[in-house]
Amino acid sequence: MEYEIQNGPSYSLLEVALEPGQTIVAEAGAMSWMSDAVRMETSTRGGVLSGLGRSVLGGESFFQNTYSAEGGRGTIGLAPGQPGDIIPHLITGDELMLEKNAYLASAEGVRVNSDFQGLRGLFNEGLFILRASGHGILFFNGYGDVSEIEVDGSYIVDNGHAVAWEPSLSYTLTRGKSVRSFLFADQLLLRFEGRGKVWVQSRNPRSLASWVFPFRPSARN
Amino acid sequence: MSEYIMSERGSFGSVLVKIGPGETFVSESGAMFRASDNVDIDVTTRNRSGGGGLMSGVRRMMAGESFFLSTYRTRDGAPGEVALAPTLAGEVALIECRGGGRWLCAGGSFLGASQGLDLDTQFQGLRGALSGESLSFLAASGVGELLVSAFGSVQAIEVDGKLTVDTGHVVAFQDTLEYRLDRAGGSWIQSFLASEGVVLNFSGRGTVYVQSHNPDEFGKRLGGMMPPR
Repeated sequence: MEYEIQNGPSYSLLEVALEPGQTIVAEAGAMSWMSDAVRMETSTRGGVLSGLGRSVLGGESFFQNTYSAEGGRGTIGLAPGQPGDIIPHLITGDELMLEKNAYLASAEGVRVNSDFQGLRGLFNEGLFILRASGHGILFFNGYGDVSEIEVDGSYIVDNGHAVAWEPSLSYTLTRGKSVRSFLFADQLLLRFEGRGKVWVQSRNPRSLASWVFPFRPSARN
Repeated sequence: MSEYIMSERGSFGSVLVKIGPGETFVSESGAMFRASDNVDIDVTTRNRSGGGGLMSGVRRMMAGESFFLSTYRTRDGAPGEVALAPTLAGEVALIECRGGGRWLCAGGSFLGASQGLDLDTQFQGLRGALSGESLSFLAASGVGELLVSAFGSVQAIEVDGKLTVDTGHVVAFQDTLEYRLDRAGGSWIQSFLASEGVVLNFSGRGTVYVQSHNPDEFGKRLGGMMPPR
């Protein structure tokens, strides 16, 4: 499977070339265009419960769509929901944790499941994140630039900015250390500890939404 | 002196500030999105007169302006790092302040300042002589680096003479320039017909940083599509 990430970093789009019989799985809604030889199949990969886990619990699409080339070579363009980087990441029997909106596409051999975060689960105001495992290439995306950070010890990331991390890292929810930070309740920080990589996006969709909010027209009485 | 690594990748600017041992750095509170774990983050308002710092910050918050500042310093005597980014898409610029006058920075464009700069949060902003408009600006004086963000691209204009800039496009300027808030076109009816708002009339010599897009226009466009509050 050949791929190219075009128009990066700000407006990245993933173009995948599929040989006959080859398949790519993508977040429902990510397909921007596809050539004639590509067939789309909508299925709840991994069974209904797994699909439910992804949708209701992880906030991710209920369906991942499967795109295959039949009877010839095909190409497909896949676009994330917001402008920014797309990161290719090879999974070779290990795992990668993903913020629930970060998943874009993956090879057939990659499994994506919801992962309950328990009491730590204030992560990005959701109780679930996604766990990718198996074998093959995975594409995830962020809003703005995505930088890869090698953690050895501990590192602080704003709750709305972590998009992916290796499971060798553990994380806890924290706040600024000053007593006065109670005034600053809208910024929750994640402390990642251990050794491994974390990917961080330079913009936060939730911050943009909060920024727009005061511009709503006032209701007439 | 802190070191600054500006991201120059595409449309979403950000900056990584390397803080040396014993140094402090100040940013707009929401701007920090990652940091090394040896950095202490102290969220407060800066107030040189000491008393009432917290309350004046609360008042600003009530007025719809978030002028809470975070102060960063490393606690273990080792260097640390803090990454800063604005909310909107756009570029980030570094302004070298050399003293000999203040820099006035639009409230929404302030990203951060090095420890050599004194931020006057008591500064009342800019007021129009007749029409009573008031705009929130932050005043920075001293020698150091000022980090600003722009909605879209940012451009430095060297003024020698006169320049008129719509207030929605002003990022920062030197107060060696004379400045006056005014209605574009000089009268209400003219500016209404021209669909232009409040402008700053600059004269003299100095530098003005302008942004290619007006955040308020963008906000109104999106806000108008949302249910009323």
